[in-house]
Amino acid sequence: MATISNTFIPKNTVIERLNPMTKIFAIFSLGLGTLISPGPRLGLAVIAGLFGAAWLAGILKDFAKIMFGFGIPVTAMLLFIQGCYHPGNVTFIADLGFAKVGLEGVRYALKIISTLLVFLGTFYIMNKTTYPGKLVAALTESGMPPKAGYLVLASLNVVPQMQRRMSVIREAQEARGVETGGGITARIKAYIPLLGPVIMSSLTDAQERGMTLETRGFGIAGVKPTAYVEVCKTRTDRAVNIFLTAFFIAVVSAAVLTKLDFI
Amino acid sequence: MQIELKNLHYSYPSGGEVLKGINLVIGGTEPVAIIGQNGAGKTTAVKHFNGILRPTSGEVLINGENIETRSTAQWSKKVGYVFQNPDDQLFLESVRKEFEFGPRQIKMPEKEIKRRNEWVAELVGMSEKLDMHPFDLTPSEKKFCTIGAVLMMDPDVLIFDEPTCGQDVQGNHRLLSIIKALKERGKLCITISHDMKFVVSSFRRIIVMCGGEVILDGRAEEVFAQTEILKKSFVAPPPVTKVAQGAGLKKTVFTTEAFMEALEDERKV
Repeated sequence: MATISNTFIPKNTVIERLNPMTKIFAIFSLGLGTLISPGPRLGLAVIAGLFGAAWLAGILKDFAKIMFGFGIPVTAMLLFIQGCYHPGNVTFIADLGFAKVGLEGVRYALKIISTLLVFLGTFYIMNKTTYPGKLVAALTESGMPPKAGYLVLASLNVVPQMQRRMSVIREAQEARGVETGGGITARIKAYIPLLGPVIMSSLTDAQERGMTLETRGFGIAGVKPTAYVEVCKTRTDRAVNIFLTAFFIAVVSAAVLTKLDFI
Repeated sequence: MQIELKNLHYSYPSGGEVLKGINLVIGGTEPVAIIGQNGAGKTTAVKHFNGILRPTSGEVLINGENIETRSTAQWSKKVGYVFQNPDDQLFLESVRKEFEFGPRQIKMPEKEIKRRNEWVAELVGMSEKLDMHPFDLTPSEKKFCTIGAVLMMDPDVLIFDEPTCGQDVQGNHRLLSIIKALKERGKLCITISHDMKFVVSSFRRIIVMCGGEVILDGRAEEVFAQTEILKKSFVAPPPVTKVAQGAGLKKTVFTTEAFMEALEDERKV
């Protein structure tokens, strides 16, 4: 049987050893930092940095696939729409004939894209390099209620689980004469028999898991839950945290200062 | 109908060779049982019989035709496969619709579907439950519903993956009668099972798999006489067989009657 239990594959890299909270902090610090900064330059620099982080984590190839796969079409679309039709366009840099491309719109589009990509990239790296159990242990340790922690864990697991079920069910339906290959209509037709069992079985799965948790006393109030997975903060974590905090403060102050200058 | 495996190797994409060169010819109408511990490669092997899995190397021939020439859906007319978990297979709102789904996929004439429906429903014990929702059936009934749905397609070969799992005595009896009826109709049944009592009661030929290889293949009496090799695959013969072997009887027996007979014979000598 396939052994991939979720998107996480242990590689024991520096990034993987980081505390999950540090990685979550990185998503917000870098993501919000890019959002607040006035121009697209910072975002592009952060994205370059993320490629470095992905290389460190040993997932550069997959990371590049996701970033370019999402980035290129979105960039093309936003550059066209915002570049040509942004209401604030005053400086025109090119003439396409049917519309003029404005610098303001291009800058705006690049900023949205860079922010999106930073959020996407940081989240992707976090997700790919963090064992879900460790993530939930870290979250509950820093004060999240265990029930909410379980919700996070369940939602992280649900997609790979469904994919696995989907492939088994596809095999079962192929064995009943359903063609799952071929043209687009054949494919859509073939997916209808798959959806029912996938949804039904995930519902019954969820119910069963809920009952199992209850029988293990998950819902008992007034006890301090402990976690089997140990999460620790290392010196690297502290260093990264300080860097991320400094980065965020610097961006905020820079943004405020530029705003003040304008006034 | 003949299924032939020629030096079949299979590795899952995630790595690890599951089948390490299997050579096997299964033909005729004599039911065949495949046994072996979990992870021996039984399911992986039979999933090659209708092309759900394609060999990494080696060949699978159905009546001399290479498995690669058609899709699984096309093979489903000839080779029926009943999956281990009924919930993976059932998705329609009534047993009747489940029964009719497969035949319609392979374009069986409506008249034929109607005719088969009666016979199959009777055989798998679903005649009274044709209008029930499959999700309201008991796990054992669900299994028979999936068996019925595959039988409806009238394949020449039927593969049952662990049909005894979760069955009571009554269920096992029904399975045996299904296998018998199919043999009478000239169909070939291939069954994976962990229930040795079930296996010896209706399968003349038994194939034992271990670690991705076939380690024993032969008549039930021959296979269960190989106690040393069986130990390697962690397959335990039925209790009465073990008692007979422990008592030093030369004959391999599977029933109390046969045991008594063999005992009497040896006493006479």
